[in-house]
Amino acid sequence: MSLDASSPPKGTSARPTKPPPTAFAVLGVLGFIAITIAAGYDWTYGIAFSITEIIENFTRTNPAYEGLLNIDWTRFESEVVRQGFAETFQMATIATMLGALFGLPLALFNSVTGAPNKTVYVLVKNFNSVVRAIPDLVYAVLFVAMIGRGVLPGVLALFFLSVAVIAKLTSDTVDGVDPGPIESARASGASHLQMVRTALLPQVLPNYVSFSLYTFEINLRGSAVLGFVGAGGIGEPLNNYYQRGQYDRMWGVVVGFFLVVFLVDRISIAMRKRLL
Amino acid sequence: MSAPTTDDQARRRNEEIVRPEKPFARFRWVVTITLLVLWFGTTSTVDIELSGLAQLPERIVTYLGLMYGPPDLSVLGQAVEEMVISLGMAWIGTMIAAACSFPLGFLAAQNLSKRPTVFVARQVLNFFRAVPEIIFLILFIPIFGLQPMAVAVALGISSIGTIGKLTAEVIEGIDPGPLEAADASGGGRLQRIRWSVIPQVMPEVIALWLYRFEINIRNSAVAGAVGAGGIGTLLVRQIGQVRDFAGAGTSLAVMILITLLVDTASGRLRRRIIRGPTRSVDIGAEEPDGGHSGDGGAPAKNPIAPI
Amino acid sequence: MIRFEHASVTYPGGVQALKDINLELGAGEFIVIVGLSGAGKSTLIRAVNGLVPLTEGRCFVGDREVRVKDKKELRALRAEVGMIFQTHNLVKRTTVLNNVLMGRLHRTSLWRTLIGAYTKGDVELAMQALERVEIVEKAYVRASNLSGGQQQRVGIARALAQQPSAVLADEPTASLDPPTSHLVMRDLKGICRDLGLTMLVNLHFLDLARAYADRIVGLRAGELVYDGPGESADETVFRDIYGRSLTADDVLESKAAEL
Repeated sequence: MSLDASSPPKGTSARPTKPPPTAFAVLGVLGFIAITIAAGYDWTYGIAFSITEIIENFTRTNPAYEGLLNIDWTRFESEVVRQGFAETFQMATIATMLGALFGLPLALFNSVTGAPNKTVYVLVKNFNSVVRAIPDLVYAVLFVAMIGRGVLPGVLALFFLSVAVIAKLTSDTVDGVDPGPIESARASGASHLQMVRTALLPQVLPNYVSFSLYTFEINLRGSAVLGFVGAGGIGEPLNNYYQRGQYDRMWGVVVGFFLVVFLVDRISIAMRKRLL
Repeated sequence: MSAPTTDDQARRRNEEIVRPEKPFARFRWVVTITLLVLWFGTTSTVDIELSGLAQLPERIVTYLGLMYGPPDLSVLGQAVEEMVISLGMAWIGTMIAAACSFPLGFLAAQNLSKRPTVFVARQVLNFFRAVPEIIFLILFIPIFGLQPMAVAVALGISSIGTIGKLTAEVIEGIDPGPLEAADASGGGRLQRIRWSVIPQVMPEVIALWLYRFEINIRNSAVAGAVGAGGIGTLLVRQIGQVRDFAGAGTSLAVMILITLLVDTASGRLRRRIIRGPTRSVDIGAEEPDGGHSGDGGAPAKNPIAPI
Repeated sequence: MIRFEHASVTYPGGVQALKDINLELGAGEFIVIVGLSGAGKSTLIRAVNGLVPLTEGRCFVGDREVRVKDKKELRALRAEVGMIFQTHNLVKRTTVLNNVLMGRLHRTSLWRTLIGAYTKGDVELAMQALERVEIVEKAYVRASNLSGGQQQRVGIARALAQQPSAVLADEPTASLDPPTSHLVMRDLKGICRDLGLTMLVNLHFLDLARAYADRIVGLRAGELVYDGPGESADETVFRDIYGRSLTADDVLESKAAEL
């Protein structure tokens, strides 16, 4: 016998009706639409999404795009740009190394297994959340206000960013470690910190190193924006060219910086692949 | 009792074996020396005055005093308003990124696309990843004006790289069984994607978008660099330009509180979406030693993408 | 050497894993605990070093009472009692030697642990422990590169490096094939005899238990149902412990036949 959709259903066994979508799914879709409209609408709390304006603006000529068509490649010879590149590398390196150093204990204590007791766990977890809730640009502008313009506020901003990223990502892997070695360390009479060092750390080490390399990639990219508030790095010359409307020069530096970041990304990702 | 085994024979041979010498840890030395060179190379050349660092603790105390002794609550309404606009930028940006990265993710998945396609799609994703947000923002200001909309689009375009890559990894991690079933029933390329891939990956991909939304809330502060609105702009103005620290104290607190609040809500939603309606599987315990992938640094099965 | 007095354990969920156990184990004895899974074997063993705290009654190791509240004293007691695990519980990413040195942690200062600088004496002890289980040539190999049987021998070496007066073994053969199981049991028995250690071993397989045990303790639903010399534990005794006749699953040799 073959199935035939045109024949009427036979027999008495009741076919199930299609179940209605769950309340979660319905609310999810409705909430999604409501948030999107509220966020895009042109009112006090919206960002005023407008297609017509986009088209209108697109058809006008503007200096930023004219600069893009006539890129000035000679700026790499200038002392200011070279120093910007050097500072960006210095900032990213120092911030990543310090961030990795301070991020490790914060990552280990951010989990129930790694924290010596509940108080430390709660304190570290909340500390990490707050550090992570502040964007690097806000750190930068705060530190510039406190100690003046220069590379130091930039390093500090990237340092806090690094701590936040490394602590968050590494602590996520701490929750997934093999509990066996932890039990055996306890059974041999190890103290809590000895257990963390000998049973927990070796298990999260590859991930931790990988996340540290990843943080270096982020720091390199992130350093571009810091110069806009006076916190050093390649962003300083970028901001100068932008403010003065020298877009041909700005795009030259941007392309150079992009190539550096792209290259560093490839190297770092290749290293991280070998690590895991 | 059991017959002699290879293990047994190996043990008999052991009798002649003496203790091994401690091997030379070449890798460890290379890493240590590289780190030392990097550290001393950068710290000795960097243009930082140690006196600035020495002043730091005292300055932090002073400025926290200015900000919170007590904060100026009259700017509370404005701070909340700007923060909500920041959330809007992050939301619209994430939606743009989701729409653009979704097809790219399929093209970049090795189990669905041909090698040249995968290569090209991955390079496109790498490109978006390597460009800093501020560059996209400058690029979009002429089109959208110095407005939150420009930030939303900049955030969206610059998130394509990371979300696309992670989407591809989620797709590569699917169960090949349903794919085979779709092939066996004679489904075409798009049909098999619609009926066997999308149902499998959707929860994790949506969770990934939500996670990126959380990150974009923080990244929306980039608007402050050029003054394109949102809480970032307000803070840069208060701290860097008019030096209204009491007002900045309020704005900073509003930003931290709302960010944490949205984080918590979004985190719960993500877990709920991945877990599905049946409360049977605990996603936290799903992958004890998950397959970690190269890019994004995130475990492929548990899309906790980095910032 | 190890003494239980009216020992009971009730888990937070309400499951009573041990019911009023009274047991005295002499120094140098090789004791095997048998019982179905869930009979409380694991709980009994873990009560000795405080990994599972007693909810009622007391347990002594030597003249020390096992008290979970006093962390410092508990660690000292744990240092004196070695433990071997079913899943070996090695840190797979690090070397065999580092794993064995974990047995020396209680006698190592924190700063030495943090930078991984163990004393010469500790390394010597770890090497001797590895020689005792005949796997010293793998000292600098990553634990993940070892077979299951080799990993279990490293686990034994780690327990020996503690210089314990008693060793607990929780199903030490459960993740090994039958020939390797016999090798591990022979090792444990030899160590018990040569070093005069008290050894408390959980086993599921009855033939293994009978072949190696000086004394067999039977648990059923948390209660002590048998306590006697290994050779006198016959079919009827096991029927008592298991609450049913023996099946092929309870005997290791029949497992071997399936391979």
